[in-house]
Amino acid sequence: MGTIVEFKDYSMGFQDDNGKVYNLLDRLSFKVEEGKALGVVGESGCGKSMTSLSMMRLLPDGAVVQGGEILLEGENILNMSKEKMQQIRGEKLAMIFQEPMTALNPVLTIGQQIGESLTLHHPEMKKQEVRQKVLEALEEVGIANPETRIDQYPHEFSGGMRQRVMIAMAMINRPALLIADEPTTALDVTIQAQILDIMKRLKNASSGLMVITHNLGIVAEICEEVVVMYAGQAIERGTLKAIFDNPLHPYTKGLMASVPTIRSEKKPLYTIPGTVPTVYDFGTGCRFADRCEHCTEKCRKEVPPVKMAEKDHLVQCWLI
Amino acid sequence: MLRFLLRRLGRGILTIFVSVTLVFFIVRAMPSDPVALLISPQMTEETQQALMESYGLDKPLGTQYILYMKELLHGNLGTSFAKRIPVTEYLAQKLPWTLLLLAAVMVIVLVIGIPVGLLAASKKGKMADRIISIIVTLGISVFIPFMAFLLLYIFAFRLGISPTGGAYTPPMGEGMEFYLDVAKHLVLPAVALSITNLANVVLYTRNSMIDVLHEDYIRTAYSKGNSKGRVLRVHALKNALIPTVTVIGMQIGIMVGGATVTETIFSWPGIGRLIYDSVNALDYPVLQGAFLLMAVAIVIMSFITDLVVAWLDPRIKLGE
Repeated sequence: MGTIVEFKDYSMGFQDDNGKVYNLLDRLSFKVEEGKALGVVGESGCGKSMTSLSMMRLLPDGAVVQGGEILLEGENILNMSKEKMQQIRGEKLAMIFQEPMTALNPVLTIGQQIGESLTLHHPEMKKQEVRQKVLEALEEVGIANPETRIDQYPHEFSGGMRQRVMIAMAMINRPALLIADEPTTALDVTIQAQILDIMKRLKNASSGLMVITHNLGIVAEICEEVVVMYAGQAIERGTLKAIFDNPLHPYTKGLMASVPTIRSEKKPLYTIPGTVPTVYDFGTGCRFADRCEHCTEKCRKEVPPVKMAEKDHLVQCWLI
Repeated sequence: MLRFLLRRLGRGILTIFVSVTLVFFIVRAMPSDPVALLISPQMTEETQQALMESYGLDKPLGTQYILYMKELLHGNLGTSFAKRIPVTEYLAQKLPWTLLLLAAVMVIVLVIGIPVGLLAASKKGKMADRIISIIVTLGISVFIPFMAFLLLYIFAFRLGISPTGGAYTPPMGEGMEFYLDVAKHLVLPAVALSITNLANVVLYTRNSMIDVLHEDYIRTAYSKGNSKGRVLRVHALKNALIPTVTVIGMQIGIMVGGATVTETIFSWPGIGRLIYDSVNALDYPVLQGAFLLMAVAIVIMSFITDLVVAWLDPRIKLGE
């Protein structure tokens, strides 16, 4: 079993107009192993999306890489040429975005958009062959009447159907890693379940899967490994079992406690007080300190080291 | 589709009817009497009366209006007071010159405006974009008669490389020589008239392109491995041109009615110059004819614009 993607002490931040850089992702390290699904969880604003966009090298304007490496099958993505990166995008790394309503081009047909993923990386492919493959891909994600649907435009599809199209588009080249950035957040619950089913079914078609979500249920359902992110740091990571059965970081504990279960008593759910700080007001110590119930003086002053709690379970906290 | 056509036809006829009616009364509200200009004191009482009758000027306003509308339905726009020839014939003499000027302006606007707008958008915030933005602002705010006189002063008076006015040097030449002569006369009025239109088109193209480049589907396109050039051409251009097409369509419609100021300054024998002369001569039927032509042109152009926009944007369904 090989490693597909590895983040090694990767840091990035945002530059303001005066050139000052505010760090967001802080020495991020984790791996996506072949044949496994990694879940990246955390609240909004924790840097989850920046993590996935870093991997695609599609960071927005103003974002700067501060250090570290992102290795794709052993090669550092950050040093690759623009042309090499274009070959990798869509071929080895494919991505599904959060907003199916806006992620498809309104003036191109579904067939043109999925077909483009193929022709960009296989320019020799014949028109007829491309169409055939697109039809198969549509069928694979459960779109009925692909023969008609292939020539329709995105506005003729519902949100769930568009997300299926996005999945078909991302999976058509059988990428080494599929990155799904909140793939179900914008959909209603029944559609979410259907999309999850498709993703589970297709999990083995790509060698690895990285799911970015704030929904712990999704993680429990399809992932084997979990990274919990808070304010740009991977504060806890390990196997699904380790994280779910034995959460150690106070933030992870808080997240787990705020999930309703079927046995929940009829009382308000647990909430973590406060909100995620923005990049401009990270303190010098643990970034969770202000919201932590067990915060000490040390937590506020010094960044906690990453500790190995057990085999396959790392945590970044002074209290452990 | 048929329902759409019928509805647009109905709306177009209504628009033209309202405009004809308004123009009829506004023209007659001018504080002068055309009869005074038509009739010389040497004429006998009978001749005066006969002249008034032949132009229908002896009848009350309401009757004149009904007569005019009746004749209009038969395609008769009346007879010019000043030239004593049918208005349709008069307009037909002038229209080709205005259309020629319009075509020249549109070539300048399309060939320069769209590429420059796209260039500014793709270099947003950089030197090229800033320079273009300054020139565009100047172009929009400049007073066109001033520009026209400036051009005349520099190119016709100081440098002497351009004729001072008219559409050709009389007597009318033959063949190639004539075309070259017309082209020489065409340059200055076309440039003067292009300035504002060009600035508008650059501005619209730039701004809509910048908006489009921030859309989610542009990020999707990059994530599939598209190069920047291909993203601009395949994914952004069609979307970005939609507002530009609307602006150009409206501009063409208005310009068929002639650019009164520019045509007058350059003595261009088009509809605009005709309007100016007819106001001076209180030539009601010609004025009415010219404004009718403008109304028809605008109705037709807005219809064509709708068709083009619907062709560019599949979300727009004609007839809904």
